[in-house]
Amino acid sequence: MPKVEHLLYGDRKVFTVSSFNRGVGLHLGRLPNLWVEGEVTELRRNPAWANVFLTLKDPKTAATLAVTIARRTYERLDLDLDEGETVHVAGRAELFEQKAVLAFRATTIERLGIGGHLLALEHLKRKLAAEGLFAPERKRRLPRAPRAVGILTGVEAAARGDLVATIAARFPPTAVVICETRVQGKGAAESIVSALAALAAHPDVDVVVLSRGGGSFEDLLPFSDEAVVRAVAGSPVPIVSAVGHEQDTPLCDLAADARAATPTAAAALVVPSADELEAALRATRRRLGAGVRAQLDRSRGRVERQGERLRSAPPLLLERRRSALDHAGARLQALSPLATLARGYAIVRSDGEALRDAASVRAGDALQVQLASGSLGARVDKVLP
Amino acid sequence: MSDDRSFEELQRELEEIVARLERGDVPVDEAIALFRRGEEVYKACVERLQSAELRIEELAPPEAST
Repeated sequence: MPKVEHLLYGDRKVFTVSSFNRGVGLHLGRLPNLWVEGEVTELRRNPAWANVFLTLKDPKTAATLAVTIARRTYERLDLDLDEGETVHVAGRAELFEQKAVLAFRATTIERLGIGGHLLALEHLKRKLAAEGLFAPERKRRLPRAPRAVGILTGVEAAARGDLVATIAARFPPTAVVICETRVQGKGAAESIVSALAALAAHPDVDVVVLSRGGGSFEDLLPFSDEAVVRAVAGSPVPIVSAVGHEQDTPLCDLAADARAATPTAAAALVVPSADELEAALRATRRRLGAGVRAQLDRSRGRVERQGERLRSAPPLLLERRRSALDHAGARLQALSPLATLARGYAIVRSDGEALRDAASVRAGDALQVQLASGSLGARVDKVLP
Repeated sequence: MSDDRSFEELQRELEEIVARLERGDVPVDEAIALFRRGEEVYKACVERLQSAELRIEELAPPEAST
């Protein structure tokens, strides 16, 4: 095994490629043993090879890591791995020094079991809940009568038939837009996200049903995938989750605006019953008739009251005028000299002029004396100024 | 009545007409016009319910982006 030695060109230290690679290899060899989680891709094995090669992929970032494991070790594990499966690999970094290629040298591989999945799910659930993705105030009201219902369903799924039949029976004026897609296994999560986006982008789709029949825990895993849950929460149209059976709670159920235990229940959530709607419409029509009748009655009543006031106006007016006239008469009466004469006074005139001064007449002048009733002719006997 | 609005929009218009009539503050000519309009909308709604047949459209599954 070559040592890490350098040459000297004057003051310059120079390494050969082998020495450099060796140095890096030694350095990497000091890193600790640890576990790495990833999805299996590019699994290559051959009975003639001493090692099995595979690539681990990080599903979120698509980062990859080459892994090698001794063929005998791999065969003893008896894993029968499929591509796309999530595994935990124990080992350490190792450099293939001839080419300076980094690999992860595995000593064992474990398939992520239900326990591991449950832990990962629980972790994801807490994280998304902390972000508020499942908050009740995020839930949107479902449309009462959607123009079209989008249905995301597995290929040839039985749930699809139940959904379509129930929608057709309840509310025929709607349309259904069906998108069949892969709902389990490798790539299912990506397919579901794309199908959801395509359905939501359809101009008539007002609500989407995520439909998936029952299945094993692993079968339903794509509906708890982070990308799917985020797509459900962020969907521009409301989403009803009808995934699995009653006892299953994939995370998309928590992010959806409503959940249904069966396709039939989902149909009842997204469309109203035409029979009930007709009954409601008839009731509204009765209110329409009653409303206009009430309005007409009110108008008629108003017209009648106005007519009455109109008819009663002239007598009232006369009455008011008469009373005003009487009042004026009384005031006139009070000013009249006739009233004074009635109390015993008299008006004395000389040549038609009322007398105010005794000096304006002489003895012997003729006077006219007006009394309350009748007048007297008289002569001045004596003047006393 | 040719109207390409959704059933839900028609139904909402009918509800609004009834609510306005029931508030009772519209002039009588307008009340009668509202009533006529309401009858039309009612008939359109019922027609939609009774004559419709479910339309089914298949959306090609989009290519996943991986």
